[in-house]
Amino acid sequence: MEYLSAQNTSFSYEETEDEEKLEVLHGVTLGIRKGEFVALLGHNGSGKSTLAKHFNAMLLPSGGKVYVDGLDTMDENLKLEIRRRVGLVLQNPDNQLVASVVEEDVAFGPENLGIAPPEIRRRVDEALQAVEMYDYRLNAPYKLSGGQKQRIAIAGIIAMEPDCIVLDEPTAMLDPRGRDEVLSTIHRLNREKGITVVLITHYMDEAVGADRVVVMDRGEILTQGTPREVFSQVQLLKDHQLDVPQATELVWRLRQEGFDLPECALSAEECVTALQKLLTRDF
Amino acid sequence: MIRNITLGQFIPGHSLIHRMDPRMKIALTFAFIIFLFIASNFAGMLLMVALMFVVLLCSGVPLSLYFKSLKGILFIVLFTAVLNLFYGGGTVVWRCPFFPVMQITDGGIGNAVFVSVRIVCLILYSSVLTFTTSPTELTDALERIMKPLKVLHIKVHEIAMMMTIALRFVPTLLEETDKIMSAQKARGADMESGGVMQRIRSLIPVLVPLFVSSFRRAYDLAMAMECRCYHGGEGRTKMKQFHLTKVDAGAAACTALICAAVIFCTAYFPASLR
Repeated sequence: MEYLSAQNTSFSYEETEDEEKLEVLHGVTLGIRKGEFVALLGHNGSGKSTLAKHFNAMLLPSGGKVYVDGLDTMDENLKLEIRRRVGLVLQNPDNQLVASVVEEDVAFGPENLGIAPPEIRRRVDEALQAVEMYDYRLNAPYKLSGGQKQRIAIAGIIAMEPDCIVLDEPTAMLDPRGRDEVLSTIHRLNREKGITVVLITHYMDEAVGADRVVVMDRGEILTQGTPREVFSQVQLLKDHQLDVPQATELVWRLRQEGFDLPECALSAEECVTALQKLLTRDF
Repeated sequence: MIRNITLGQFIPGHSLIHRMDPRMKIALTFAFIIFLFIASNFAGMLLMVALMFVVLLCSGVPLSLYFKSLKGILFIVLFTAVLNLFYGGGTVVWRCPFFPVMQITDGGIGNAVFVSVRIVCLILYSSVLTFTTSPTELTDALERIMKPLKVLHIKVHEIAMMMTIALRFVPTLLEETDKIMSAQKARGADMESGGVMQRIRSLIPVLVPLFVSSFRRAYDLAMAMECRCYHGGEGRTKMKQFHLTKVDAGAAACTALICAAVIFCTAYFPASLR
């Protein structure tokens, strides 16, 4: 059974004085299985963040339904239960840390759940070890790098022992090193702890490692499938002003020029192998 | 320049004072401050100063740091001391030749000395509290001490949470102020010249973006807190539990002893000594 399920979900922001009613999601249907690593791609304004906020009842659908582990997000009484199961990590690491000591920040979630103090201690230590920030547990967050702060934010979510983490562009404000740190952390959590991951991003390269890629455009799902399936449709993505990973782009362009290359290369290594093969054959 | 301001000047350590229960530290600080004003003769004041020095030495924080914390209030001490010189009865020591109303009496000198010693002790003793207790421990302890006030419908948890968040965001906002100032300077804003009014006016282009971004941060933070199941103080637990130990008992006993001695001094020694 699907763990997260959006059924014909639509959402529109309420009418305000200077803005008319704007529908950002037009009947999206999407299911995510337990343990899956899904990358949600799209432009700014494609509705990907809006959809993400539906998965932990931060936003409620104006049409259709969203279920989390079978729980209806419209049910006010289930809100806390849903948020415990699905953690949401936001873009700006600075704005989601509450306390001025790392370990106390990580403890914030479990404290809200009313868990017994010794158990909170255990969870905090475990969560900090899981993101490899245990040595920094007594530091002040503002002294850490962006990537480290974002990992603390992830630890704060893991300490609630959720089944699923939704990350809303967690790397958008980080430098390349911070991005790598955060990405390898989420991949490890998915692999080792079996946590379902929904990674929202507009970096195509980050989507390559996912089990499934869902591309959104203007409040609808444009296409979805394995990274290979999705990134083979270079023309479709380009028509919607979306990029593909650099390696994929290179191979695609060479193919357009008539070179005999495989249909899709996802990583730099794959691209190099393909080019090597081509070159050694020719000469 | 902004980065040099020390706020939440916690200095980590493992001294006796560091190990004390923050609730006890707050309680003893209050007791000290109250008795600082009860002590009204030299014998009592001497005891208070002695107690303060023992505590300073026990805190394991370099004394030079304490004196640094005094620098900022030097002007206030001098100001109140000078002001106090002219108030008080007793024999006249000096009279201003132009304004006969202004006169210094021996009582006034006594007042001036007492007030300065009181202010200095007050600052030093409360510095011990902030130097040896982390801001989170402080707010936590305050929340627990104020818990009984819930009966009066005072939102104790909310106040403590606001303090925690405020402390957490002080360095973040300072950094941001710095950035905005640099950005405005890069656009030709002049913040270092002109009179007081001019300088205050030149701060407006810094404050406006700072406010806007603070609201954005607040919105983000509120969302992040909700995502982490925050729903007010009800049913909330705390990872860190406070325990009173032998050190706390010892400190309380010592303070009680000194306070009793101060009461004794005040009651039995003639007040004319001051």
